Amino acid sequence: MEGWAIVARPSSYLLNKSVIFDTDRPEKGVGMAGMELRQAGGMSADTLFRRITGTGLLILFVVLTGLVVAFVGYSNPLWTIQSPIDFLTSSTWSTGTIDESGQIVDALYGASGALFGTVATSLIAVLFAAPIGILAAIFLVEFAPPRLAAPLTFIVELIAAIPSVVFGLWAAGDLSNRLRDSIEWWIASSFGRFLPFLSEDPESPAADSVFRAGFLLAIMILPMVVAVSREFIRSVPISLREGYIGMGATKWEVIRDVILPTARIGLIGGVLLALGRAIGETIAVTMVIGNAEGVPSSLFQPGQTVASKIASNIGEASGEIAIGAMAALGLSLFLLTTVISLVVRVLVRRFAVTGGRA
Amino acid sequence: MSTPVASIAKLLTQPTSGERARQRINGGMRVIVGVAAFLAILPLIALIFFVILKAAPYLVPTFFFNNPLDKEPGVLNAIVGSLQLSGLTVLISGPIGIAGGVYLSEFASPRVVAIGETVIDVMLGVPSIVAGVFAYLILVPVLGFSGWAAVAALSILTLPIMMRSTQEVLRLVPQAIREASLALGVPVWKTALFVSVRTALPGILTGVILAFSRALGETAPLLMTARGTNAENWLDFSTTMNAMPIVIYQYSNAAGDLLIGQAWATALILMVIALTINVLVRGRTVNSRTA
Repeated sequence: MEGWAIVARPSSYLLNKSVIFDTDRPEKGVGMAGMELRQAGGMSADTLFRRITGTGLLILFVVLTGLVVAFVGYSNPLWTIQSPIDFLTSSTWSTGTIDESGQIVDALYGASGALFGTVATSLIAVLFAAPIGILAAIFLVEFAPPRLAAPLTFIVELIAAIPSVVFGLWAAGDLSNRLRDSIEWWIASSFGRFLPFLSEDPESPAADSVFRAGFLLAIMILPMVVAVSREFIRSVPISLREGYIGMGATKWEVIRDVILPTARIGLIGGVLLALGRAIGETIAVTMVIGNAEGVPSSLFQPGQTVASKIASNIGEASGEIAIGAMAALGLSLFLLTTVISLVVRVLVRRFAVTGGRA
Repeated sequence: MSTPVASIAKLLTQPTSGERARQRINGGMRVIVGVAAFLAILPLIALIFFVILKAAPYLVPTFFFNNPLDKEPGVLNAIVGSLQLSGLTVLISGPIGIAGGVYLSEFASPRVVAIGETVIDVMLGVPSIVAGVFAYLILVPVLGFSGWAAVAALSILTLPIMMRSTQEVLRLVPQAIREASLALGVPVWKTALFVSVRTALPGILTGVILAFSRALGETAPLLMTARGTNAENWLDFSTTMNAMPIVIYQYSNAAGDLLIGQAWATALILMVIALTINVLVRGRTVNSRTA
């Protein structure tokens, strides 16, 4: 390797793209390390290593492609008997009947009930988790003494480590009933008279409800909201805070006028990320939502989500059309979460580029 | 009564009513955010308390060493099943994910990095049930309900986690160390392996352990792949396997206090394992950061 010199690094992470100048053969000029280190004939160890590690990334690409192809392919038979519009708008989910000639007739797979449940539970989850999570993050970063902030942050992170089936068991065995008798009862008795979608029979409340599933999701996504919000609040430059404090602002005024506007995009990104998590959560929701067909008349009635519908129906699905309906449900979940992931990515990138001053 | 000088001093030192209001708002908000932080940790306390309360009567020693159909029922087959499934998942997705992370950090061009990171983001957002349905549609018709199908579904979920964590910790390795190694004439691949990866190894292993813990708690993909069984299954991934989340889910729907009690007991075991892993790993990371 004598005579090689790295003369410049065009970017910080491109090891093999380091510009290399061979001092023994100046006529060759400046080249790339990855190219220059390749030996004549045969593959160099560098190229081999590069290809092996590159295969890892390639496998991830292949898996993603496989997911898309499989879900599109398996859901295809469904579109031979009905249109995607029916799938999105109808609330009837019927496997149909078999007529004399052995053909399946009157099958209709409408997922609007499940889609409604997914949207309703995730929005309820975000409605509770976003304000509490962001305020808790503000407390952890701005108000809590370090001795308190460290263990509190740790405890919040631990919530994320609890398996969702344990949350489901806890909710089905305890939390759900407590919610029914407290928040749900209070909302129903205060607003249920004017707003039918918040009404409930106080004498015999339903055993399961969409609202309770949403509230459980709020608890489950809270750590994510807190963790992301905390990171972005911390990233607000100290000089901005000091400038405003120097003008006589109180701590809350600094938070309201400097920190929240600066970190806004990151906070939105964190909430969206948590929304994506809520949309995909399956087993805990399945255990408390009641798995009832159709669009419920009230949030305090049992319902279902796309994920819970897959979990509870996939065992019985047979035949390529019924399987196609399951794949279509999976595809809609996949599309929803993918769109959210991409939006978050764009938002957070914008935050990184502008330092939050977007 | 007061001299002009005194009244000016009073104006300067005493807060005006507007200022008092601002201070009151500040104090009020301090209380509100504190309450929010308390509300954020309240569920964890309530959950742990309640699970212990419900599980305690059923957590007898035989519960750990017997199988579901034994005279004194237990969940040994679910515990070993969970460990095997998560272990094999990490063995498969670990090397692939680490390799991909190394490639992204050490070799890829900015374009490939941008594409790769986007794909990782998308894959991280894939709900576990989607991975389960994928394995159910593609693998179960071929392999039947089996440990292999479960491991495939779990690997889809842990692969992006591994890749992201590897790339993130490699990014923290100072560029100067790599340059020093290259300047000494060390080939790029040896620099990547014995300088970059070696420096980041503790962080990479943390990622592996957290992925293991994630795989341990997944339920939905297992229900449609490994399915659960009452038999004890050692390393036979070609047939059904039991796992703790499966037991919790199935027993919680069962009739009878005995099975529901066993669901709580299994939940406590699973939760203790998951929390212990996280406390140990995160505690270590925090220490090494401050040290």
